Amino acid sequence: MESALFYVFGALMLAGAVLTVTSRSAVNAAVWLVFSFVCASGIFALLSAPFLAILQILIYAGAIMVLFLFVIMMLQGPELKDERARRSPLTLAVQVLPAGALAVTLLAWLARGGGAGFGGAAAVTGTAEAVASLLLNRYLLAFEVISLVLLVAIIGALSLGRKEEDKPWR
Amino acid sequence: MAVGLTHYLVLAGALFLTGTAGVLLRRNTLIMFMSIEIMLSAVNIVFAAYSRALGDLSGHVFVLMNFAVAAAEAAIGLAILVEIYRLRRSVDVDGLKTLME
Repeated sequence: MESALFYVFGALMLAGAVLTVTSRSAVNAAVWLVFSFVCASGIFALLSAPFLAILQILIYAGAIMVLFLFVIMMLQGPELKDERARRSPLTLAVQVLPAGALAVTLLAWLARGGGAGFGGAAAVTGTAEAVASLLLNRYLLAFEVISLVLLVAIIGALSLGRKEEDKPWR
Repeated sequence: MAVGLTHYLVLAGALFLTGTAGVLLRRNTLIMFMSIEIMLSAVNIVFAAYSRALGDLSGHVFVLMNFAVAAAEAAIGLAILVEIYRLRRSVDVDGLKTLME
């Protein structure tokens, strides 16, 4: 059952990602990305991380994608101008080499018979309570630093969004 | 065959490659941003998978950090994008050569 769900969510998530990257219109890409993120939430649930699964929906599929759709709405109509893909030998190498490495690794692993589950590691369920107690004890400094990052992001976005003549560097 | 760590790592690797392809091949900045979000998502899956394999919840905390970084990146990036659009009336990366010249 768990294996079947992994393959369903994994395949759908990958398909959503590929469709995002290949979509002609930015709106379609955004909608496929939401689909992909909802499937990611399923993957988190399978990894016994219910808190992350909920946050994935709230933050990614909710807040970040709304931001994207707002910007798309502000900037342009749904159709993109005809775009040519950049194809240099370097781009191709960057694409093909890691994909080849991934395929070789996968085949070697399958040739050795594949792994058996998580090797009997006990599943620790990442409930909100358990994650929060780690976050506010052991990782308190990281938590404070990340809130600073968010504060800087807010200030940066505000100052970038000002009218041209109000910009501090004008 | 029971699903294990390697399955999740392969899924994350494939997702990351998809994201890289998007950043390298598309010229629409909005879709390049979405590709970056796909790559961050792949990294999140690796964190959660190792967390499950090692029986340690620290990975979940780092996924939370990654969520915050992704949100900050999207906010700043999209603000810059709006600004570029105001100046150039286009979000195509081909036009963005001002710093090179």
